[in-house]
Amino acid sequence: MNNNKITYTIALIFIAIAFTSSCKKPDPKPSPSNKGKLNLSMNIYWDNAPLQYDTLMYINAAGNHYLVNEVQFFISEVTIYKAGKAKVLNGWQKEHYFDSNISTTMQWPFADDIEVGTYDSLSFTFGFSNADNVSFMFVNPPESQMFWPEYLGGGYHYMKLNGKWRLPSGDLAGSDFHLGRGQIRDAVGNITGFVDNSFRVSLSNSAFTISSDATTNVPLIMDVKEWFENPNIIDLNVIGGAIMEVQSTQILAKENGWNVFRVK
Amino acid sequence: MFRFNNFHSNAFLLIIVVLLVSSACKKKPVPDKVPAPTPYTITIPKGFPTNFVIPADNPMTVEGVKLGHYLYYDGRLSGKADEGKPQTCASCHVQSHSFENGVGRGVGTNGNLTHNVMLPHVNLLWNPGTFGWNGSVPSIEEDVKETVVSPTEFASTPEKVVSAIKAIPMYPPMFKAAFGTSEVTMDRIAKAIAQFVRTEISSDSKFDRYIRGEEQLTASERNGLVLFTTEEGADCFHCHGGVGNPLMTTNLFYNNAKDSVFNTNDDRYSVTGLTSDIGAYKATTLRNIELTGPYMHDGRFQTLDDVINFYSSGLVYSKYANPLMHKLNPPYGHGAELNPQQKADLKAFLLTLTDTTFTHNPKLANPF
Repeated sequence: MNNNKITYTIALIFIAIAFTSSCKKPDPKPSPSNKGKLNLSMNIYWDNAPLQYDTLMYINAAGNHYLVNEVQFFISEVTIYKAGKAKVLNGWQKEHYFDSNISTTMQWPFADDIEVGTYDSLSFTFGFSNADNVSFMFVNPPESQMFWPEYLGGGYHYMKLNGKWRLPSGDLAGSDFHLGRGQIRDAVGNITGFVDNSFRVSLSNSAFTISSDATTNVPLIMDVKEWFENPNIIDLNVIGGAIMEVQSTQILAKENGWNVFRVK
Repeated sequence: MFRFNNFHSNAFLLIIVVLLVSSACKKKPVPDKVPAPTPYTITIPKGFPTNFVIPADNPMTVEGVKLGHYLYYDGRLSGKADEGKPQTCASCHVQSHSFENGVGRGVGTNGNLTHNVMLPHVNLLWNPGTFGWNGSVPSIEEDVKETVVSPTEFASTPEKVVSAIKAIPMYPPMFKAAFGTSEVTMDRIAKAIAQFVRTEISSDSKFDRYIRGEEQLTASERNGLVLFTTEEGADCFHCHGGVGNPLMTTNLFYNNAKDSVFNTNDDRYSVTGLTSDIGAYKATTLRNIELTGPYMHDGRFQTLDDVINFYSSGLVYSKYANPLMHKLNPPYGHGAELNPQQKADLKAFLLTLTDTTFTHNPKLANPF
């Protein structure tokens, strides 16, 4: 074999390699799926504006001058509705903890793959239903710090809304508006049973559309003002600073809670 | 044009062979054969948080913990032993006092008092990165380094400390085992001590055993627990945990209505600048609380009885008191208003938080 032939052969091999590699079929474009994702973002408001913390600038329906220090709460069992069919979103977790001190908690990106389409509405449980409110299910803070004492029924606080209000004397007093399991007491005050104070929240005007391979955000508002006025006007001078053991106030709060959330 | 002939192909082969032979004959450096440190496994007690804080650049190892254990108890750590001023972590963090000093403020090598009383080294594995009374120290490692230079503690320098430790024959091999080389640095000293401190875990008090179903509380202790965990009682649990939070602290900061005037140079406000943090200090863990007096950041209360009396009737009004201090309701409300029996019950419960397994654990004791 002469030198020309060798050179020619090598060149041919290179060309063949280059050709075969360039002819590889490009990866086919993935066809769009029929699933998408949902995210709930929580916004804390007083009436129609974002809440300003630690500022004594609000007056509730009872006339109490009031400030909010922090709000921490759970919602669970989010359910979406489409043409009369309901789907509970519980891909990774059935509940979510929102904490005004931890901004990342104010988003709840659901793990569930949801069929594309327009959904009529959305609902959730404020707190946990009795079956889901199980002591020791959280061992890590901040959720674990929401535990509700066993003596008072166990499980977890649905909400801690901590703030202050101005007393008639002009001084400020602490308001721990904490919701959770209630107690049934006998005539002398001994606890004889417990009450599930959680409630379902059905949001009007909560239609949303899930698109293929995209995440749809549904922004919600918790209007703190509503906790104290609709339908029950709650006077902090009457209920005082602590309500975990006052079932009558828990019921008032529960009824007001139906109107606390809306879609932004 | 380049022509490939027999001469070329032979030369090419020769070059390849020479290259192969020469590379095979290269003298390989003799590796410093130090076995990799053995990962240290932390066993999480039942019901305790499964999330904990170990810095990525300081993984726990058996050798690191062992080195830290020795350094923690070695009075030469101050770097001033030759000046007659030996001091180490254990000088103020005494095992029998839950790794607190049990007397109040610490006394440094120069006789100066620390600004506030000591905090115990207990369950710091779960501290979220807010060490000290105001949470200004981000890690145990940083705390060790600050202790070395603090005028009220070692009042030393990293150079003195490193020099002192390096001169002790037992240590360089231990550093080699823990960190791969025998080099002694302040950073490594801090890392080793931090590893040891993260093993100081308390989880076997009577209350722990009660939660685990292994032991019963007495009637008085049970009544105390009810007072501890009810708003109509003493309402301690919102800041100090309980059955659902066995750390017995939230590791958060509260103005607990001790004063009406505040030192905003050392409170939580000095760190965050938030008005809600004025006069706020860490809610310390109540584990082993009977062993860690005097109480509050400035040690103003000598006994648990003093503390209980304070929360019962001694709250001081200010607009900065934390909302959780709802018992503060002037002009009449200055506390939980406990009767003598309730005070006794609450104290009985607090004593169930003492963990003698921890305070006598030989793995945490002085190794010298």
